[in-house]
Amino acid sequence: MADLAQLREAIINGNAKAAAAVVNTAIAEGTQPMALIHDYMIPAMDEVGRRFECEEYFVPELLLSARAMKAALEPLRPLLASSGIQPAGKVLIGTVKGDLHDIGKNLVSSLLEGGGFEVIDLGSDVSPGKFIEAAQSTGADIIALSALLTVTMPSMKYTIEALKEAGLRERVKVIIGGAPVTQQYADQIGADGYSENATLAVALARRLMSGTRQATA
Amino acid sequence: MAEYVQLQPEPGKTLSDQLFGLGIEFPCGGCTACGGCRIRLVSGAIPITEGMRDALSDEELAAGWRLACQAETDGPVSLDIEQWSARILTDESRVAVEPSEGFGAVIDLGTTTLVVELVDLATGSVLGVLPGLNPQGRYGSDVMSRIEFDLREPGVLTSLIRRTIGAMLAELVRGRKLREVLICGNTVMHHLFCGESVEPLSHVPFRPSASGARCFTGEELGWPGQTHSAAVTFLPCAGGFVGSDLLAGLIACGMHQSESPIALMDLGTNGEIAFGGREGILCTSTAAGPAFEGGRIRMGMRAGDGAIDRVEQDGSGLVCHVIGGDAPRGICGSGLVDAAAVSLTTGSLAATGRLSNGAKSLPLAGPVALTQSDIRELQLAKGAVAAGLELLRQEAAIHSSQVASLHLAGAFGNYVRVDSARRIGLLPRWDTPVHPIGNSAVRGTRTLLLSPSRRQSLLDGLLRITRHVELAASPEFQEAFVENMTFPSPPEPSRG
Repeated sequence: MADLAQLREAIINGNAKAAAAVVNTAIAEGTQPMALIHDYMIPAMDEVGRRFECEEYFVPELLLSARAMKAALEPLRPLLASSGIQPAGKVLIGTVKGDLHDIGKNLVSSLLEGGGFEVIDLGSDVSPGKFIEAAQSTGADIIALSALLTVTMPSMKYTIEALKEAGLRERVKVIIGGAPVTQQYADQIGADGYSENATLAVALARRLMSGTRQATA
Repeated sequence: MAEYVQLQPEPGKTLSDQLFGLGIEFPCGGCTACGGCRIRLVSGAIPITEGMRDALSDEELAAGWRLACQAETDGPVSLDIEQWSARILTDESRVAVEPSEGFGAVIDLGTTTLVVELVDLATGSVLGVLPGLNPQGRYGSDVMSRIEFDLREPGVLTSLIRRTIGAMLAELVRGRKLREVLICGNTVMHHLFCGESVEPLSHVPFRPSASGARCFTGEELGWPGQTHSAAVTFLPCAGGFVGSDLLAGLIACGMHQSESPIALMDLGTNGEIAFGGREGILCTSTAAGPAFEGGRIRMGMRAGDGAIDRVEQDGSGLVCHVIGGDAPRGICGSGLVDAAAVSLTTGSLAATGRLSNGAKSLPLAGPVALTQSDIRELQLAKGAVAAGLELLRQEAAIHSSQVASLHLAGAFGNYVRVDSARRIGLLPRWDTPVHPIGNSAVRGTRTLLLSPSRRQSLLDGLLRITRHVELAASPEFQEAFVENMTFPSPPEPSRG
């Protein structure tokens, strides 16, 4: 019998091997993928987020947990795809043009995946053109922009402007983050949301998706 | 050391304007985010703003702490200026001299501090030294915010720094005729002084627009009369953000002549690291952030009066040493490293960086305590430096046991305790002797000033064997950075 409580613990403690092992056993026993994700994995990442919020966890712990989450999701992916279960949303993520920092971006990316989103990571130094191309080809719901330097922040603005020009702005939500970024800056450049840290970014993306769904319903 | 001012309201000027005019730095550019422009009200009134409430605790506000960048008043005030108690490292040690006539000057143009030395070219003696704060500091404390400001308001920083250095030189020279001036500084300081465009430094791949030596006359720079005919040279940059201050440091520690590999670390806001010997030298810079200078630390301050600069374990308690011996007001970089090292040993700090038993802060002495976020800032800073050194070592493919010595440049490197730095993983646990070498930038630049006939070949030789490595671009760096954020486990007890 798979010890599902151990799955939760493994993700919280950042033990990728143990997390994947429990998931594999559970799949072999016929446990429903969505039950694993909703009852154990997402709550585990929520707990990791809580610990990060109250400064109990720091970047290294967060990264280890995100890796464990990824390892646990890996064997579930084909099952989810074949059963036609939709992800919480499709997110395009990248560090903007001129900037190479990607620790923060990678964290957000892993946490979003952990939160049930399909994430397409475009890497760092991503030009507005690349974002547009990917937005068109993937039909992403959300574009997440990261910048760690004050001097590269304007690239966020240019990307949003380019999305407008390409006629895509109405179709996607844009969220931004990174050390020098503020809510004020997000408002100024017309982004749909800003998050102070990686764990809050997941909540933000969920909120935006529920907004989108209501709007289209 | 006085750092006390009294001010009367001036029409058309806020108190913030007046303080700015006095040269107080607004490290974050005046958006209240950093809390680095703290002033303490001794008498009078400064209303508390929203921004001050975010940056300062209730206790600090009650104790009279305010932020200079948002200060307003309608009556006379007297204030303690925290920034004005900095300890700036100068250097007056002797170097080899190739005698010539007249007077020269050596300038170490740092992002935060500035040292100007007047040198007798015949004897090599240092006739006078003026330390100061870089006046560009009020437009942001790190190189990136300076770049951003210069892109927004081109030329302001260039004329400001030229004017300041000109005035400092005039004060030192006092009628003597200045023949030659050599300036060293990082690439951003080089570009801003020389009036080169910093735009290429604002984005990937961070390539300087003109990194070579630049020559001027004192007159071209708009300097006062007796410096008009001086030949002024800003030394060439090493590559990326690494400038001539590091090249000068290489000369000072003799890396270019060393048979076995050695390392040089300058742990300022931009942690600069060089590794190698006469066969070849690798250098890089890592954005360590201002933690080692007390920046972004709740009660952090520069190494001046009132700063805790040393923390030791005494039985189950802590003993804190305070610069100037008075009541502690804050903590500087070396105190921060000590406090973390001691706390790791006593168990009040876990290897993950978490304060034990969910404690919110780590009391040190008097009102001074470290918060959980202070420890996180330290983890980021030391993680960046440790990862930088480790990657250079890997890139050079040299085993740590082959490294003959590790030299620490700069004020922080001079005061930090090596054992503590090793305990927290800021310095590697190699079996390598560590030497603090003080202001090696000034010493190396003075060596160049005093060897006019060898200068060019020395610089050319250095540039030929020195290669800059861009770390931000490497995924290995990001990996190593995160790995080095945690604190190492305690050292194995030595056998025998």
